[in-house]
This record gives sequence, C-alpha cells and structure tokens, in this order.
Amino acid sequence: VDVAVLAATGASGLVGALLLAVAVAHVLRTRREEADERRRRELTPVVHALLDGDGGPRPDVAGAPAALDDVVLGLLPQLRGADRQVLRQVLAERGVVARATADLSARAAWRRGRAATLLGAAAGVHHTAALAALLDDRSPDVRSAAARALGKAGDPAAVLPLLTSLDGDRPVPQGLVGMALLDLGTPALPALREALTTGDAGVRVLAAEVLGIHGDLAAAPALQDLLTDDGHSVELRRTAAGALGRIGSPRATEALREVLAGSDSAALRRVAAEALGRVGDPAAGGALTAGLRAPEAEVRAACADALAALGAEGQAVLSAMSGGTGPSAVAARAALDALALSRRPVRMAF
Amino acid sequence: MREVFTDVVVSAGWVVLGYVLLLDVTMLLLVLTGARRVSLSRRWSGAEGHSEIFASPLTPAVSLLIPAHDEEAGILDTLAAALGQRYPALEVILVDDGSTDRTFELVAARYELAEVTPRPTASLPVDGEILSVHRARTGDPLTVVRKSSVGRRSDALNAALNLARHPLVCMVDADSLLEEDALLRVARPFVEDPANVVAAGGVIRAVNGAHTDRGTVLEPRLSKHWLVRIQTVEYLRSFLLGRTGWADAHALLIISGAFGLFRRDLVVEVGGLDPHSLAEDAELVVTLQEHLRRHRRPHRVVFVPEPVCWTEVPETWGVLGRQRRRWAHGLGQLLWKHRRMIGNPRYGPVGLLALPFFLIFEFLGPVVEVFGLASIALAGGLGLLDLGTVAVMIGLALSVGTLLSVTAIAVEEFTYRRYRRGRDVVALLAAGVIENVGFRQAHAWFRLRGLLAALTRRNPVWTPMPRTGFSGAEPQQAREALPAS
Repeated sequence: VDVAVLAATGASGLVGALLLAVAVAHVLRTRREEADERRRRELTPVVHALLDGDGGPRPDVAGAPAALDDVVLGLLPQLRGADRQVLRQVLAERGVVARATADLSARAAWRRGRAATLLGAAAGVHHTAALAALLDDRSPDVRSAAARALGKAGDPAAVLPLLTSLDGDRPVPQGLVGMALLDLGTPALPALREALTTGDAGVRVLAAEVLGIHGDLAAAPALQDLLTDDGHSVELRRTAAGALGRIGSPRATEALREVLAGSDSAALRRVAAEALGRVGDPAAGGALTAGLRAPEAEVRAACADALAALGAEGQAVLSAMSGGTGPSAVAARAALDALALSRRPVRMAF
Repeated sequence: MREVFTDVVVSAGWVVLGYVLLLDVTMLLLVLTGARRVSLSRRWSGAEGHSEIFASPLTPAVSLLIPAHDEEAGILDTLAAALGQRYPALEVILVDDGSTDRTFELVAARYELAEVTPRPTASLPVDGEILSVHRARTGDPLTVVRKSSVGRRSDALNAALNLARHPLVCMVDADSLLEEDALLRVARPFVEDPANVVAAGGVIRAVNGAHTDRGTVLEPRLSKHWLVRIQTVEYLRSFLLGRTGWADAHALLIISGAFGLFRRDLVVEVGGLDPHSLAEDAELVVTLQEHLRRHRRPHRVVFVPEPVCWTEVPETWGVLGRQRRRWAHGLGQLLWKHRRMIGNPRYGPVGLLALPFFLIFEFLGPVVEVFGLASIALAGGLGLLDLGTVAVMIGLALSVGTLLSVTAIAVEEFTYRRYRRGRDVVALLAAGVIENVGFRQAHAWFRLRGLLAALTRRNPVWTPMPRTGFSGAEPQQAREALPAS
C-alpha cells in the first residue's frame, strides 16, 4: 500500500507539473507568435524594396533581424530569374548559406536535411558534390532531402549520383529520384536512355517512366524492345507501354497492338489499350474493338475509352456496339457517356 | 472462510490494479514514442517537399471513396472539402447507400448530376442493388452511385471500388472534412516509396464545435459538450500519438475508416472489404498485411501524423455506446478471423506485438475493468477491504490514467497547437482529468457488451450515427440549392 501511495503521489505530481507547463507554454508561445508575425509584417516591405531595385539606397540586410531569413526563404520558391538571384544573394550575405553548408555535417538528421533543402533552393550548383555525398547518409530522411535538393539545384552533374543512389546499400526511394530527375530536365535524358538498357529492373522502370513523361522520341525503340520482350517483368513492360503512349509515336502502334492481343497480364493489356488511345493511331481500331470482348472489366473499359479517343472512326464502332446487352455494349455506352459529358460546357458548382 | 474470501477479493483487486497500470504504462510508452516521432517530424516542417509532390507528374492519381447514408446535414461540406483538395489528380466517388433523406437530391442539385452508364474497373461482390450511376456536369470529377442499402458500410465501399479508376483509393467518411493538404501529405509515402508502401493513415480529430465554412475548418474550437471534449482527448491520445507509436514499431493495425489511403490493386486482390466485418477498416489493414507477409511481398503500412481529417463524434451517451459496442464487436470478429496470426513470429511485429496487445488490453480489457471495479466496490461495501486501501487503489489508477491523458494534451500543445484559445486548452486539460471518472468506466461497459456480442456471434448490425452537421454550415443554404418544385 505504501508503494501505491508513493506511486499515486508521484503520478499526481507529474500531472500537476504538466498542467502548469502546458498553461505557461500556451501563454508564452502565443506571445512569441504574435511578435514573429509583427516582425514579418515589418520586414516584408524591406524584401520588396530589394526586389524592386528602384535605384534608391539598398536596405541594410546584414543587420536585419533573423525573421528576414524566413520571409526570404518563404518567397524563394515562388520566384525565378533575376529576382531569385537577388534573394540568393541576400541569403549568402547574411551567412545563411554558409551556416547551411556547415550544417550538412551536423549530428542531428533534421539539421542536415534542412541544410540540404536550403542549399538546393538557395545556393545553385555550387554544392552538388556535398549534396550528392548526402545521398548515402545514414538517415533515410536526409537522403530524401538531398535527392530533392539536387533536383532543385539544377546541376546536370547530379544525374549519375541520383541514378546510382537507387541501388546502393542505403537506397534512395525510386519516386524521389524520379522527381529529382524530372526537375533536372532534358540534360538527364542521355543517362536515362542508357539506363534503359544497362540498369537493373528498378532503374529501368524509373528511366522508362521519366523518359515517357519527357516524351522522348529517341527512347521509343528501346522502350518497344522492353515492351515486347516476355522475359522482362510485367511492371517494366507496363511502364514501357505507358511511356510509349505518352511519347505518342504511331511507330509504337504495332508493338502495343501485339501486347493487347496476346499478353496474359490484364494489367499490361489495360495499359497497352490506354497507350493506344493516347497515340490515337486509327490502325489500332481493330485491336481495340477486339479488346472490348476481354473478360476483364478494366481492359474493356480502357479499350472503349481508347476507341473514343481515336475520333470519328472509333466512336462509330462504339455507337454500333452500344446497342447490345453484353459487357462490351456496357463498356461502349460508358465511354460514349463520358465523351458526351466532356463536351458539355463546364459550370462551376460554387 | 471469510478470511479466504477476503484474501481472494483483495488479491483480485491488486491484480486488476496491476492490469490497469500495465495498460496505462504501455499506452504511456506508446504515447511517448509517438510524441518523439511527432516532435521529430515537426522539425522537418516546410522541408518535406510537398510542393514538389503537388507539381510532380509521378504523383499517383487518387480515387476518394465516400459512402453515405442519410448524410444531408453535412454531405455538401464533405464533398466541397474532398473536391477542393490540393492534389494534382483525383476523382471523388460518392455512394448514396440507400439514404432516406435528401442526401442525393442535395448533391444532384448542387453538382447537376447526369445519369451515365457505369464504367466498372473491378468486379468485387456487392450485395446491395446498384440503382444508377451519375456524373457531375459542373466540371467536378464527381461520380455518384445510388444503391440499395444492406446496412453495411463495406458493401458501399466495395461498390465504389468497382468504379474507382485511379491507382490509389482513399476512403473517407461522409461526416468528415479533409484539410486542403491532407491528401497530398498522406500520399507522400506512396510517391517517395512506391515499391513498398501499401497503405497510409492520417490523423482524425473531432470537428464538433469547430468553426467551419463550406467544408473548410476555419478555426478549431472545442465543443461545449463534455462528452465530445473527452473524446477529443481520447482521439489525441489514441489516433494521433498511439498510432504514431504503433507505426514506429512497424505494427500498425488500424487505419481509420474516416481517412485511409490504399493501393487499389491490392485492395481488389484481397477481395475488397470484408462484407461481414463491423471493423472493416482495421480488417482490411490486417488482411493486407497477412496476405503480403504470406506471399513474402514487400510492404509498409505507414501513419502520417500531420494530415488532418475532421470528423463528427457522438454527442450523446446512447450514440457513443452504440458506436463503441460496434467497434468492440468488430475487434472480436477481427481477432477471431486472424487468430492464427496472434503471437505468430511469421507475421512480425503485427503478430507478436499488436495483435496480442489488442487481444489482452483492448478486447479483454473491459472484462477485467468492469468486474475488477465491481469486486473492489463490493469488497469496500462489505467491509472486506478497508476504505483507505480502496482509496489508494482507485487513486493510483486514476492518477496514472490522468497522467496519460495530460501527457497527450501536452504533446499537442508543444507540437501542433491546433487549439489557439486559452479557454479551449483549459477545457481540454479538464477533460483529460475527468475522463477517468465516469467516461472510462462507461466505455468499458460499452466494450464489454460489444465483446459479448462478438463471443455469441450475434449478427453484426451497422447502426448509423445521427448527424448534426458542421458548425457554421447553414442547412438553409444547402436547401436553397434544390430546384423549386
């Protein structure tokens, strides 16, 4: 009983201390947030004056309060060109960039990650090597931040480290590398084309997806090879089919038709049908019409949508089939309904 | 004889006290683990890359699935919040599951619905009859399915899954409001780690009392009802910190039906939602993990502590009792269905940690709490225990329980700080203290009845919760949207 009394007293004491701490913290944080907000309001015109550069005396940025950094970092992602350069200069002058560079080797993971993010947004291409080194950081969050930062910094030299980071001992997630490569733009394309044939399965999937989003016509032959080779995984072939659809070249029609007619995988046939719809080649009409009789609902729906996208010829096929009663007719009617709705003038609900 | 009886009763009292303390201390550890994770994630605030995810063509499209039964009080707000998500590609599929009020009429008028031929993408079994499918003519990506109700939320969700077109599906309750960035934040793990992430859950908070306008929570406020205030504390403790702690231990068992994101292909692969489960949300998560573990396929179930879904919680004891009985009944069904996973190392932390915890503390807990309390009260009343000992026992249990609740509120204040008004914080603290007197015991009673229903294999019944709508929402405005007749 004595132990229980002691434990109850201890727990009650902790409860009292927490109640007090919460009340005090609430009051103090409310005051601090109000003060921060006031400072930000005062500093915003200073930043606007810097951006305007109307020939007047340049505001003193070195001696301004720390809240100026928050205002500048908040504006930076929204700006491009000369304005962005002005703000980068301000951050460099105030020592923000130097502090972030030092923080890249900080003990706390969140410090390294925030430093990488800041350098990606504010420091251009000067820190590519340091950021690339963080792709092998012990913290997954830091590796992710480094990948994003390399994409934002825009240095083509980051392409190879990014692709390599996909299959290291401490891999960076595929989606993050993909977003960074997209941020880097067309300079990444040659390395991605090479990865289509030399990379491992995961790298190839990512390369195919990114090349498709870029609409890279030069990658189409390699993508067709991936699509038609049964030895590759369904995921890779499906990504290749989707990429060919985005590229939109009618040269891919034959390969896509073959897959739609002959693959065992419903998921692959669905993506092939969607790709044929994107390509919009009338030569796909026969394969898509046959696909309307597929046993899988998702393949029928994709074929019907693709026929609707082929124009008058495909829509005529749908109209002819829509009078029936089977699943093909249902798919045809659904596609025609969707087409009719998409042609209506839009009125907003609010 | 009296001495033996006294010994038994006293021992039972200490065993019950030990059990309650063990439960509270385990929860406290979970809350502290969750608090550490939340605190760390707050340090990354602004550096998570959400803008990049919004702008990325690699971000997977999402189908938001909303089952609705008699939801005229708030359905337009819920849809406004869903359609107003800051997300690059989404569609909303609302299932009007046999509503007898004007749920469909309100939506039809606001979004100028036109009947279309259904475009199925899957063939999951649905018991209710699909009456018609409609699309919005206002340009919103909204599909509305009308079906007859069979009294089960899972049936409506399976009907929606059959029409979902996108690779991710997000299940949202019709009495819930998503914050503008909620979907973007909860989808982040899928974008960053598409090969492994199969499901993600977000934070649920009580919307009752909050100031809202057209589906947007303008200012979180605490309800005037103490029952709601106590549930607000409960949601903070269990749905924010508890689940963050479980996710950290790779043992997350529940993603709330009010707000969860899943890979559509996998949900279809496991046959959709279990039509007979009363806890279909938890059931789906466990089934997915069981299926993927069995086939040795990579998978991660994550909990993102930031995205917020505001949901209506019960305001009366009657409705709360029905809800909690249903949850306990559903938990019993789940544990029975997946009994082979309990304590089985093949299923990792889910089998070794989460399921045994739910069996011992969540499912059997009410038995110990209700009978333990009754025996202590009886022993005190009959003079078998001296009142000082009874007071110490009850005082210890109450003080540790209160410590748990107040810790959760402190974490909220030091991290997210959603409640800005001082009076709300004071009320929240008071609710954390009084939760342990009355609410906790009544809650144990409701759960005990649910447990009995599960053990006697009573027919599962989904009882709809009466809706009050969202504060600040004006039903008259909604009604004005109807054409004059």
